[in-house]
Amino acid sequence: MASPQRAPARPGRVMRVVIAEDAALFREGLARLLADRGYQVAAAVADGEALRAAVATHRPDIAVADIRMPPTHTDEGLRAAIDIRRDHPGTGVLVLSQYIETRYAARLLAGNAAGVGYLLKDRVADVAEFTDALTRVAAGGTALDPEVVSQLLRASRYADGLAALTAREREVLALIAEGRSNAGIAAALVVSAGVVEKHVAGIFGKLGLPPGEADNRRVLAVLRYLGA
Amino acid sequence: MPERDNGEVATTGSVNPVSAPGPSRRHGAAALSRDLLRAPVTGRARRDLLFCLAESALAVVVLAGLGALPGLPLAVTLLVSGGQPVPPPSHAHPAGVVPVFALTVIGALLLLVLLAPRAGRGLAAVHGRLAARLLGVRLAGLPPVPAARGPFGWLAATARDGPGWRAVACLVLKLPVAVAEGCAVFLAIFGPVNMTYPFWWRLFRNHPPGVHLQPAVALTPFGSLPVATFAGSFAAFAAGAAMLLAAPWLARAAAAADCWLMRAMLGPGRLTQRVADLEQTRAQAVQDSAALLRRLERDLHDGAQVRLATLAMNLGLAREKLGPGADPAVRELVDAAHRGAKDALAELRGLARGIHPPVLDNGLPDALATLAAGSPLPVRLTTALPRRPAPAIETIAYFCAAELLANATKHSRANQVTIDVAASGEVLELRVGDDGCGGADPSGGGLSGLAQRVSVVDGQVRTVSPPGGPTQITVTLPMQA
Repeated sequence: MASPQRAPARPGRVMRVVIAEDAALFREGLARLLADRGYQVAAAVADGEALRAAVATHRPDIAVADIRMPPTHTDEGLRAAIDIRRDHPGTGVLVLSQYIETRYAARLLAGNAAGVGYLLKDRVADVAEFTDALTRVAAGGTALDPEVVSQLLRASRYADGLAALTAREREVLALIAEGRSNAGIAAALVVSAGVVEKHVAGIFGKLGLPPGEADNRRVLAVLRYLGA
Repeated sequence: MPERDNGEVATTGSVNPVSAPGPSRRHGAAALSRDLLRAPVTGRARRDLLFCLAESALAVVVLAGLGALPGLPLAVTLLVSGGQPVPPPSHAHPAGVVPVFALTVIGALLLLVLLAPRAGRGLAAVHGRLAARLLGVRLAGLPPVPAARGPFGWLAATARDGPGWRAVACLVLKLPVAVAEGCAVFLAIFGPVNMTYPFWWRLFRNHPPGVHLQPAVALTPFGSLPVATFAGSFAAFAAGAAMLLAAPWLARAAAAADCWLMRAMLGPGRLTQRVADLEQTRAQAVQDSAALLRRLERDLHDGAQVRLATLAMNLGLAREKLGPGADPAVRELVDAAHRGAKDALAELRGLARGIHPPVLDNGLPDALATLAAGSPLPVRLTTALPRRPAPAIETIAYFCAAELLANATKHSRANQVTIDVAASGEVLELRVGDDGCGGADPSGGGLSGLAQRVSVVDGQVRTVSPPGGPTQITVTLPMQA
């Protein structure tokens, strides 16, 4: 995925982003990167309250929020993200953090995992993948860090069902849970789309999930299965 | 009534403190005399004197209590014998009165035994509050009476209440000190009174010549001073001034003696005090070190981690911008730098998490959930914490759980680990169990090190791990460091 991807979610319209991050250095770097990739940064703020206000004002396609922000420096960004998903369904939220916390992921994904993402800050460094995730979340999809997915897999109540999967199938399941499409999975595993489809069918059969779902709903089915 | 005299009162009345020598240009004797003159009007003198006044009043209460001891039986006997004083033995009906008297004496003694320690505690607490409020002297409170069941338990606990009896003894020993305190109050009141003699002398003693009046009396600690003439009233003034100047020093000395006595008799013993001090400083040290680690992690998060993440992001962008036509050597270098930045970031994250997992700020359950989800073994986690332990305790509990989980993963060959955290009263209990092969050695390096670390807050580690399993390790910690 070396070719730079310009990123409007819908053709003919530039995607609008609100950034919330308390470290000025990272905030400005992120704004520069997004502007460079063709996004319109509507606002860049430094705490949860300002994020809520900026989203209410600008109605962006997506809000990118750091979890740990003033004043409490615990989960400000997460709480703001959950509120935004509830109050502005048209705005996707992608939370970034230095750490992946299981309970935070569960809170973020509780109810509905559509239009949310939870990534380690490191992932921003892989620019193409990051903008991919951004586009997916803005379009109502999901982008979960591999770390989130591996924690969900380990913490799952259905360890027995998961144990029935082959190693390759577990890999594919993890990629589905991260929110990737068949094409994305094929690219990540360097296999053909047909092979991926076969694996997906196998996984859904073994776990007893309804087959043939569209990408987004497929992710939700898997996350529900994993108990998020 | 000459108006002029009032004016005189106003000007001369302010002689003592205000006209004292000014700022410290003059040294030695001048400064000393200034301090001596000012002493009666300082806030400290006022507080010392108030303390003396209150203590003298309390001494009267104690004296009344002591007086009730023989007084009460006497009063009862008088009542029983129909208002007659206790009859001499030769009198008509001794047989009826003596037993009553004896009974009441025994009753009063019993009452004393039953009530004195409790009353002594109550009064000692009042003394303690007075000392804290007026003198800023903190006296350690008495240890509480051991809890007892039922009225007899209560009586027994009272009779055996050592500190309570110590309080009673202290109250009695304080009586002589209270005499000195009463003297100080006397000096502070009658000093100014005596100093007024010259001012009103002319108002009341302006009788025609030849009339003889009784001399007026000025009270001093050395008896009454008869004042018969206007010149004599100046002697009363001098005595009053001396009394007023002496009052603050006597009050201070008496209050100090009083505090010393109370501290010696009511305060904890030196060893107990030392243990209390050590406990307090140790708790402080534990809290400080937890706070230090927290701050260190926070500094890493706000500093190095942000810089590295931004660096990795910029390198990622640079990599994208190189395009297909770029020099392969440059691309390779940028790739390596990009990878290096990401690796450093991951490493730093692990390091920071080992110092203090920031999710702990959100509570132990959230932190343990991530710990459990990160374990290669399946972990069943239950937490029941109605309220949060102190931050330092949360940190200790978290790292104990992490270490026990790592031990189970490494050595137990278990299929399932359970972590239970529960708080009951002032105790936090962390139980980590597994269904593995058992045989964990409490005296081994890992577990004994753990026991040592929790002993810093008086925590304990119990290990149950028979060969063949299962293993259950229980760590108990106080809720407060």
